[in-house]
Amino acid sequence: MDAVTYPQEDVARFINQNVVALRVGSGEQPMAADYNITWTPSLLIIDADGKEHQRTLGFVAAEDLIPAILKGIGKMHLNRSELLEALDRFEELQLHHAGSAEVPETIYLSGVARYKNTGDAQELKRAYELLRERYGENPWTKRAYPYRLL
Amino acid sequence: MTKQIEWITDMGQAMERARAENKAIFLDFFNPQ
Repeated sequence: MDAVTYPQEDVARFINQNVVALRVGSGEQPMAADYNITWTPSLLIIDADGKEHQRTLGFVAAEDLIPAILKGIGKMHLNRSELLEALDRFEELQLHHAGSAEVPETIYLSGVARYKNTGDAQELKRAYELLRERYGENPWTKRAYPYRLL
Repeated sequence: MTKQIEWITDMGQAMERARAENKAIFLDFFNPQ
């Protein structure tokens, strides 16, 4: 990460603007035990209370790191029922990182956030249909499969 | 000059800043060796 990903200027700019960057050695206790760290790099998105919302294990290339962080921020907001903030992050990811492998999951999660925000179950069906149309038998299309019946 | 990530190394400081700025924390557990 230090040799390839973090030196990228767009990565540094994104991280400095969008998250608080915290770096801890994998042997530092009690944090490593608290977060059950068994391998490095372990890249987590946590909130201001220390609650974990996303974990990525292993090297992440520069072009994949920004979408991964965006998804993690969105998941944090979704978990905290900050639905509009979650949708903003998921839509930012889909708009600016359309080729990212993270997009199908964020389409699924956008459907969840919209459903929670409006109570309209058709939002879940729309997410399924969009996933099927764009990604065919993607794992996230399969997870949304029951919503086709709504 | 290349822009660098402004890392914090103290959890308490990171939590305080995340709360003040309403941001998530990107926590990198790295191998220091």
